[in-house]
Amino acid sequence: MKPLTLEMIMVMSIIGIAVFLFIVEWVRVDVVAILVMVGLPLLGLVTPKEAFIGLSSNAVVSIIAVIIIGAGLDRTGVVNRMVTPLLRIAGNSASRIIIAICLAVAVISSFMQNVGAAALFLPAVQRVSRTLKIPISRLLMPIGFSAILGGTVTLVGSSPLILLNDLLVPFNLKPFGLFDVTPIGLALVGSGIAIFIILGRFILPRGESESGETASLAKSEDISQMIGETFELHTPADFTLYRDPVMVGDLRRRYLVNVVSLVAPPDFKILNPEPDVEIRSDVDIALCGKEKDVRRMAEAEGMLLKDHVEVFKEELAEHSSGTVEAVVPPRSPIVGKTINEYDIHRRFGATPLAIYREGDIYRSDIGDMALRVGDALLLHGSWKRLQGLQKDRTLLLTTPIDGELMRPEKAILATAWLAASLVMILVFKIQLSVCLMAGAIGMIVTKVLSIDEAYQSVDWRTIFLLGGLIPLGIATEKTGTAAWIAHAVLGAIGTVSPIVLLAVIGVLATVFTLVISNVGATVLLVPLVVNMAIAANGDPRMAALVVGLATSNSFILPTHQVNALYMGPGHYRSVDFMKAGTVVSAMFLVVMIAMIYLFY
Amino acid sequence: MCIITISRGSYSSGKEVAEKVAACLHYDCVSRDILLEASDRYEVDEIKLVKAIHDAPSILERRGRKKETYIAYIRSALVSRVRSDNVVYHGLAGHLLLRGIPHVVKVRIIADIDRRSAMEAQREGITLEKARSAIIADDEQRRKWTQSLYGVDPWDSSLYDLVVKVDRLSIADAVDIVCDAAKREAFKTTPASQQKMEDLVTACAVKAALIEEFPEVMVLSEYGNVIIHSASGGRHAQKIRKAVGALETTIGGINSIEVHADGNAPPGSV
Repeated sequence: MKPLTLEMIMVMSIIGIAVFLFIVEWVRVDVVAILVMVGLPLLGLVTPKEAFIGLSSNAVVSIIAVIIIGAGLDRTGVVNRMVTPLLRIAGNSASRIIIAICLAVAVISSFMQNVGAAALFLPAVQRVSRTLKIPISRLLMPIGFSAILGGTVTLVGSSPLILLNDLLVPFNLKPFGLFDVTPIGLALVGSGIAIFIILGRFILPRGESESGETASLAKSEDISQMIGETFELHTPADFTLYRDPVMVGDLRRRYLVNVVSLVAPPDFKILNPEPDVEIRSDVDIALCGKEKDVRRMAEAEGMLLKDHVEVFKEELAEHSSGTVEAVVPPRSPIVGKTINEYDIHRRFGATPLAIYREGDIYRSDIGDMALRVGDALLLHGSWKRLQGLQKDRTLLLTTPIDGELMRPEKAILATAWLAASLVMILVFKIQLSVCLMAGAIGMIVTKVLSIDEAYQSVDWRTIFLLGGLIPLGIATEKTGTAAWIAHAVLGAIGTVSPIVLLAVIGVLATVFTLVISNVGATVLLVPLVVNMAIAANGDPRMAALVVGLATSNSFILPTHQVNALYMGPGHYRSVDFMKAGTVVSAMFLVVMIAMIYLFY
Repeated sequence: MCIITISRGSYSSGKEVAEKVAACLHYDCVSRDILLEASDRYEVDEIKLVKAIHDAPSILERRGRKKETYIAYIRSALVSRVRSDNVVYHGLAGHLLLRGIPHVVKVRIIADIDRRSAMEAQREGITLEKARSAIIADDEQRRKWTQSLYGVDPWDSSLYDLVVKVDRLSIADAVDIVCDAAKREAFKTTPASQQKMEDLVTACAVKAALIEEFPEVMVLSEYGNVIIHSASGGRHAQKIRKAVGALETTIGGINSIEVHADGNAPPGSV
């Protein structure tokens, strides 16, 4: 074993600091990665070229391309087209529905980001839950877990697997093919679904009681009832006389009604007016609210409540505007901010009506509530403006918006480009990043999505997280740190059989991925375990594969993006993830090791 | 048409001023009778309420929050009593218990320490020195009480609309000044200020109903839309939701009631 050098100590210190920052999250994970990226060459641990090689790596380019392809499939409604026939086949049986949707999400997830696949299915699952009266908590966790497990079906299914081949390059190990992991992935998906079908009633939250479950369902069903309907009123001629000005925001605070349109004299119509717009005398206003609140306001303020919407008939028609449900996704810039701080009203021209959180509807003082991942905002706006919100991706619209943005006519082209990429990978054996980028640019050229939409769809945080951590892997290897730690660990645990070593690596990767990001865990562990396997006369490729797979074994805590996304809509608590997640995590390790032992 | 609160120390003639102002304006004069009302309404010994509103909380009491519970009861009784205006309230912390209401004239009556000591010595039959010490101790106790519960010093004149020293100004002068202020436009009850009063009554009633079981909750009512802020997380919030279910029918003036488990109670919450 080589002696410990100053360079090794420096690399280990950087790893220690990075892991510490990943856990405490004083700065965002991608910022940590960029700090590492610039810190390593400054300390002379990698060359400047090596420091930025991650950004042009096969892995990073592949991820960019996969995200664009995923966006193309989303934009053309391919996913929705898959769900409808599946549900028809599944009928009314909860188990069959779970199997059908889980399989569909796993297939989609094997070719796009897991959280993207999970997000695409959220509205469909909510619809199924409401229509068939199946508690949402019974559906979402199996589906979310399947999205994560689906990421292990192909080499482009999850960031750690995409990254794997790049991390093997310094060791001159044979890269994995696109479908080399498929048998393990399918076994994992199958076992995961089987666990929920067999043990679902024991490990999934049951809700408070049978009646409690119904009440909660009724709540989700009645969201529109909770926020009320649209009414039109006329203000009296003396409305503004002898009183303080009444603003749109005042009516909201006083009567819990949301003004969605008003006339500014003489006849200028303002849609979704901001809270500081004054309500004038002798004008028409349209608002969204519960009938009892609207009547209370009409009486107190002397307004005339009309029988029908007349003046704003066109603006409030179904084809012009409506209410959407927008979920706060993980890593959104809005997390932790309030509606007022993020200025949603002004920024997107949409009126926030209510917040739906963990089964409860909030209507009062929603502007000052700090938003959490999984919160659903009910927003009213014109379809045109809501499309802007959809483009922005700060919030995830779970209500599909009909309009220019969706291009169902391009669905065949989108599917064809995905197929073309796969053929290039499988038949012509061209490098992964080239094939996927070809598919992505194909979609852009054939106008499945525009180049701007493609740029906007890319999650640059993931890209820099990957790009920033790749040089850390290089430094770990180049300085001999990985070999040193591997020998030290092996020296401590003594001689073990290869299967036990793989199991230890699996557990280690699982623990790492629960506390730091899956990409970080992969970058740190792959050089380490390859050296360990070499030292213990095991197969280094299998050791690396165990890390690539086990870093998707993130079910026990709601730290994985998919779990975080589903936590709110599914009304889950952390303890629910611990209960079901422990069983699925144990299954994951057993099935993965067994499959590697049997097939590789 | 307004509410007058008169804050006073012992032997400051505040009680006398309050009674004469009430007589002059044909207002009701209330003080300790609020404690009786609170005692009846919430079934608590009056003596406990007296101690709660007079003595500063001890270290143990600060942890147990019992004193805050009693004060919530007293506040609820007080705001219900004065909601219809034309009331002079003299007693501790009226200006704090009714803060945020524009048509409240907040008055503090003070007197020279020597004058107060002489009155105490005469009444209790003790030496001037002992009387002085007793008054200083009493003032200190009240100062501590206000500081521990509201974080303000009762001797800070910015808390009041009027501070009148009964010395060169006679009691009759003080009464005239207070009556004159009460008739000013600035203290007239308006529909908006009355709405604030109604909301304070609602919020205080909700707080009093919850405080024993959930001492950390803060309550805000705006036009009858009640928000209960709890710093404790989801599970706890569910318990509060169950508890508030019945309140909508038992407490008047509630239009809607929501529990927000974010702990960010806005200013004006009770």
